[in-house]
Amino acid sequence: MNTRTKRKEASCHGTTDEIIAGSKRVILVGNPNVGKSVVFGNLTGNYVTVSNYPGTTVEVTRGNGRIEEKNIGIIDTPGMYSFLPITEEESVARAILLNEDSDAVIHVADAKSLERTLHLTLQLMETGLPLILNLNLMDEADRLGIKIDLEKLQSKLGIPVVATIATENKGMDNLRRAIINIPKKSDKIFRYDATIEPAITKITRLIRGNYRISNRALALLLLQDDPEINDLLEKEENKAAIDKIVEETKKFFSEPLNYLITIQRQKIINEIVKESTIAVRPERVGFRERLSRIMMSPITGLPFLLLVMYGLYEFVGVFGAQVAVDYLEKTIFGNYINPYVTKIVTMIIPWKILQDLFVNDYGIITLGVRYAIAIIMPIVATFFIAFSIIEDTGYLPRLAMLIDRVFKKIGLNGRAVIPVVLGFGCDTMATMVTRTLETRKEKVIATLLLALAIPCSAQLGVILVLLSGNIDMLWIFAGVMALVFMLVGFLASKIIPGESPLFYMEVPPLRWPKLSNVFTKTYTRVEWYFKEVLPLFILASVFIWIGKITKLFDLAVDLLSYPTSWIGLPKEAATAFLFGFFRRDFGAAGLYDLKNEGLLTGVPLLVSIVTIALFMPCIAQFSITIKERGWKMALGMAAFIFPFAFLVGFLVNLVLTTLGVTL
Amino acid sequence: MKCPLCGLRFKEEESAAACRGCPISKPCGLIKCPNCGYEIPGESGLLKLLRKWREKRNAVKR
Ligand SMILES: Nc1nc2c(ncn2[C@@H]2O[C@H](COP(=O)(O)OP(=O)(O)OP(=O)(O)O)[C@@H](O)[C@H]2O)c(=O)[nH]1
Repeated sequence: MNTRTKRKEASCHGTTDEIIAGSKRVILVGNPNVGKSVVFGNLTGNYVTVSNYPGTTVEVTRGNGRIEEKNIGIIDTPGMYSFLPITEEESVARAILLNEDSDAVIHVADAKSLERTLHLTLQLMETGLPLILNLNLMDEADRLGIKIDLEKLQSKLGIPVVATIATENKGMDNLRRAIINIPKKSDKIFRYDATIEPAITKITRLIRGNYRISNRALALLLLQDDPEINDLLEKEENKAAIDKIVEETKKFFSEPLNYLITIQRQKIINEIVKESTIAVRPERVGFRERLSRIMMSPITGLPFLLLVMYGLYEFVGVFGAQVAVDYLEKTIFGNYINPYVTKIVTMIIPWKILQDLFVNDYGIITLGVRYAIAIIMPIVATFFIAFSIIEDTGYLPRLAMLIDRVFKKIGLNGRAVIPVVLGFGCDTMATMVTRTLETRKEKVIATLLLALAIPCSAQLGVILVLLSGNIDMLWIFAGVMALVFMLVGFLASKIIPGESPLFYMEVPPLRWPKLSNVFTKTYTRVEWYFKEVLPLFILASVFIWIGKITKLFDLAVDLLSYPTSWIGLPKEAATAFLFGFFRRDFGAAGLYDLKNEGLLTGVPLLVSIVTIALFMPCIAQFSITIKERGWKMALGMAAFIFPFAFLVGFLVNLVLTTLGVTL
Repeated sequence: MKCPLCGLRFKEEESAAACRGCPISKPCGLIKCPNCGYEIPGESGLLKLLRKWREKRNAVKR
């Protein structure tokens, strides 16, 4: 692609000249926000060209500078994290490296986060382009107490490393000198594992054409399914043979190659970082840093977590549930929608049986839609708002670190449970765990555990509401669930054979949540949730209607009322449990109804909440388990979970009544 | 996209591998991080439309 001729039409300032002919060419690359523009400004004069990269809205800046009486053309590229592009900016930055001549590529990097930044450095080294690593923001690294042994790093990488503080113009002369000395390509090659490495060799041998970047880099990108590189090589190369190697390599692993390569690179990076940095205690720890440590250390982190949960409870349980639900449920549905719809339906449909499908006790509108809109929606909406805020601040990774540390303290593998605790949806654990499991037995146990112990987010929201107004109950519930989690964690860590010790984990800086982010996240989650849940709620109403006609419903309620009464609950709770089978949040909404009618309070309420939280996953998941793993296993799982949920409920009831606790 | 839990950057298609062990076989609207298993709902259709529209408008303005 010839950007020089194309640039004119795309250029918006098009007045200044392009890079002076015959001058050396330098390309600046790096993560966003590391100071590339400042470095660029330091190296160039006042006249620069800003133009859209052909076919995109991405801007690229070019300018000229002089070093030791020589003209240097400099190109500032859009921010990139990885040589395997995901965003359009990254694609453009890479296209420049692929298509334009360069005498030196400068990787401008944030000295504060060597671990993260070296991913790109290593990828750039693989390309064989003449590379300089420019560690910028040295002042900030200094303040955080990070000391980097530049000599060591330089020898480890085999490329020039220059430290700068671009904003203060410090170190810029060293950078200029490095440029003028024209770096050679590094002779260091970092190797991947025994399956990937031979594949790289084979692909490299097949590549005939001449490209700006090395065959090794191309091979790696091909292995990672890079569509642009695939297109690039389509015409000239024996793509069929290459594709075959890629496919065969993929078969060796259950994870995507891209992920494996990243993980293996991380391992190399960890080595390099360990040997070339000395972390000294910073003189003054900033507020953010201190807060971050408070969140992650077990002693302070757990109380902090409780504080967060309490805030969540106040917002979701008190505001979302009591205020908003009350209004929607009692006023909107109770006074307007239900009576109105009932009137219309009875007017149009003369048959009672058919009327029941839409209205009355279990109708689609009066039960399904009402549960979804009036009870669940305000709760999940507030819950998702709170969660999005938490997510956007960067608290989650810290919470993950905390849980991991706590679990490690008691000798358990925390990594296995983290996404479960934090994740959404109900299948989190299954996926996480079964991925690494070898035998069928392990898979079965894992699937079982997750069906049992992982309440989905929506259910959690509704449970919060049920507990609202009674803080003691909340604590007891939290305690019971924590115990179950521990048990599950214990069992899981017993069956999960040492989860790979290499677990990519990046703790981003803490920050204030951004309103637009929170809005987008919340909206996305709420929309997703309703798409999932509304059809099921309606379906449930239809099923119940059919069950009513055929009398199966009453039979099921009758049967269920035995275990319900054993754990000290009123007969009506059986209906809620039946609802819970359609979806657990549906069941929780049923309990909420009972609570509102005053049928369920105190200890029985708590007991039913605990039971429903442990209860069978929803019918959707159940039916799919049947499909994927067969009837026998699905029923077997039900046969375990069912009694177990009731057993725990029974125990809680027994303990509380024996102790004479009143709630 | 970037996983809000572990910080891994991955493409949406890559989550398919992480989903392999899941008993739910139909696409469920969640994107799963291939590293840590955290689940993120996919971009909503409405928001995507809005974003596209805004990008287009910005491009025209320039
Ligand atoms: N303290 C300090 N701040 C710096 C240094 N270099 C750059 N900055 C600041 O870091 C911020 C980001 O700098 P930019 O030059 O815009 O970063 P960039 O890499 O071009 O960012 P993108 O355009 O997003 O790719 C600015 O506020 C700079 O003033 C440095 O060495 N020390």
